[in-house]
Amino acid sequence: MKTFEEKWTAWLDGQLSGKELADFEASLPDLAAAEAERRDAHKLGAFLKEQLAPQALSNAEFFSHQLHERIAREDRAGDRGTRFPRWTIPRLVWSGTTALALFLITAVWLINQHQPGQQSEYLTQILNSRVDPVANPNATVYIFQSKNQNKVTVLWTEGLQSLSADYAAK
Amino acid sequence: MHLRAVLFAVCFALAISIASSRAANIVWTGMVIAQNVPQPAPVPPELTKLEQTLKELFGYNQFEVIGQSDKTLKTGQEDWLANSKYFGLHVDARGENDSGYTLNLKLYKENDVLLETDANLSKSSPLVIKGPQVGSGQLLLVLVVKDDEQAHQRRHAEPVNPITAGWHRLQRIFHRVVP
Repeated sequence: MKTFEEKWTAWLDGQLSGKELADFEASLPDLAAAEAERRDAHKLGAFLKEQLAPQALSNAEFFSHQLHERIAREDRAGDRGTRFPRWTIPRLVWSGTTALALFLITAVWLINQHQPGQQSEYLTQILNSRVDPVANPNATVYIFQSKNQNKVTVLWTEGLQSLSADYAAK
Repeated sequence: MHLRAVLFAVCFALAISIASSRAANIVWTGMVIAQNVPQPAPVPPELTKLEQTLKELFGYNQFEVIGQSDKTLKTGQEDWLANSKYFGLHVDARGENDSGYTLNLKLYKENDVLLETDANLSKSSPLVIKGPQVGSGQLLLVLVVKDDEQAHQRRHAEPVNPITAGWHRLQRIFHRVVP
């Protein structure tokens, strides 16, 4: 058994029909006022339906720009956050120690390449010398370095055939 | 980014050091008659630094150049001749070595080879060869690598620094690997 309110709501919504509709309209004290009220209720319903529908977003480009900026900001913050911890203090110490050790090994190796007692590479060296044995059968050759700061290397020959003063001509 | 900057700086420094060490050197070759005379002439400019050494070694008071040559060595493979009227000194450079140049020297008297020698001529150590007696004097052969004056003075003023020597050695190794 429907209450009056249920029947009224159903009548407003147009859901009553047949004998039930005729009985309900007959029970109304003022049918014309009820009809006016029903029209108003339909108008209000239509208005509310229109106003409460989801609003289409305006200014889509601005929204998109804001969104991109935020993503970029978060990316930068993320980069800083992930890059810095790679060079932690222990890693820096280990890297420095390794580099120093490599440098020292290379330096010691390079310095030790020149053995003590070996003739200095900064002096001129005579590798070999030959004197014509037929023209100079008694020729001998000596090699030495001067003791002064000029570091002159001397190839000293003895017993070469003497020549006349004419050979001193320019 | 920092790593790239460091790598760039290292490459730049290497390039500069290689370029500077590849600078051409001039080898002065002279045939000198040394003798004792009452009024000795002044020594030629090329022998100024060696004058005292030559006097002490050979006991003569005058050194006259009778033939000379200034040869700029770029590849270390050049050859040249210093001539006088009767003598010729042929120098054949056979490459750059650790400290200077490997040379083959032949002293000619007209067409005869009087003396032949192979030497590593150092940039900081001149070579003097005592040749035959000529009249009352002595023929001397002198080879000097002319170098940057400041570098030359620095080398003589300071003892050889092992770190510098090591660095130069590293440069030479690098040159051998990357000719």
